[in-house]
Amino acid sequence: MTHTNDHTPITVPDGAPGYYEVMETAMRELLAEKGLIQPAEIRRQIEVLDSRGPQLGAKVVARAWSDPGFRERLLANGRAACEELGISFYDDTGLIVLENTEQVHNLIVCTLCSCYPRPVLGLPPDWYKQKPYRARAVKEPRSVLGEFGTIISPDVEVRVSDSTSQLRYLVLPLRPVGTEDWSDDELASLVTRDAMIGVCTIEAQERKVQ
Amino acid sequence: MKTTPLPAIVSAAGEAPLFKPGDTVIISSRFPVGHYRVPRYIRGKKCVIEAVIEPRALNNEEEGFGRNAGQRRHYYRVAIPLTDLWPGYAGAAADGLRIEVYETWLEVAK
Amino acid sequence: MTPSEELVRHLPNDIGGLPADRIDCMDHELLPWEKRCHALADVLDYHKILNTEEKRRGVEALGSEMIGRLSYYERWIVAFANILFQKQILTPEELALKMDEVAARHAREAEA
Repeated sequence: MTHTNDHTPITVPDGAPGYYEVMETAMRELLAEKGLIQPAEIRRQIEVLDSRGPQLGAKVVARAWSDPGFRERLLANGRAACEELGISFYDDTGLIVLENTEQVHNLIVCTLCSCYPRPVLGLPPDWYKQKPYRARAVKEPRSVLGEFGTIISPDVEVRVSDSTSQLRYLVLPLRPVGTEDWSDDELASLVTRDAMIGVCTIEAQERKVQ
Repeated sequence: MKTTPLPAIVSAAGEAPLFKPGDTVIISSRFPVGHYRVPRYIRGKKCVIEAVIEPRALNNEEEGFGRNAGQRRHYYRVAIPLTDLWPGYAGAAADGLRIEVYETWLEVAK
Repeated sequence: MTPSEELVRHLPNDIGGLPADRIDCMDHELLPWEKRCHALADVLDYHKILNTEEKRRGVEALGSEMIGRLSYYERWIVAFANILFQKQILTPEELALKMDEVAARHAREAEA
């Protein structure tokens, strides 16, 4: 394999690579040979991506639940508040955090492609990127929510946010009843990716007996 | 937080937002050849400005052809009731859409 | 029959509100090449060699048949090739020769 100044090759697993994998490898190697990218940059970016996942969003939600000042800052500027917690944004996207209340339930979608708050949730699930969710979330959100087992009362507004620009969205779920004296870590353990997309809510908790 | 410019100040073209929260505007009904970032399902619809997005940004439809610098204008987060988008909408009357639209796609509602 | 101009005016990815099936809650762990492809997109965007909006437009430009049949990252990598050719950063010949070289290298390594 062609080496540049950093001599560690990017490894490829056993088994014949398919057409598209060959294309990816060839393209990456050509761009590196031409000095347009470095293999180390690709490796680094894989590490950046691997370091992002729903556990980050869960920390943000837990802090917002327990700290009203943080919650206010989060709702005013989502990206800045995440950065306060040490969650850097590796791209130019902004973040709007959508607060669920007793009157409003939020849901996020990208009908045109697959915009998703990757810096704080990691990569999106396949279903989020595919036609059924993207086509139906803006037209029949309650039916979509129903397929996830989520029923929203008719007197609560369902508000669907379709990302089309450089802003990304994160839903701040309602804090479940029964968690009044929980620590941030305990709270974070309740927060699922699907609740931060808005297809699920978080159920009331009974305090665990230690 | 943006403040109102001094009376003597003239801002550059496109610098000050054309619309403010609460304004009713219409999403244009044009049909570009090929690439666009304003979905068909909202074309021609009336909407209410919920927020002016800061900072100003490039037109993403031009970015799609490789424009990485140049004039920046505002995106707006706008609100449209789902009943306005879908005839016979079966959910709650209060259900709504929020979407960001670039300033060049919005017109004053007559 | 819908007029042909609808194909020109209505992008294949613009599906908000179209009829669609039940959601299939499928997900898969990204294959290593898919993750490398995603990383490549991000690195190319950092350098503004190929920005994220160009990638989106490039995927749309594949047309409905390819969009329907190629998987998510397969669409990306083919779109990148087209855009890099357009920008004269790579030529089709260069990429084809390198792809042959990569495939041959894997075949040799598999035999070893």
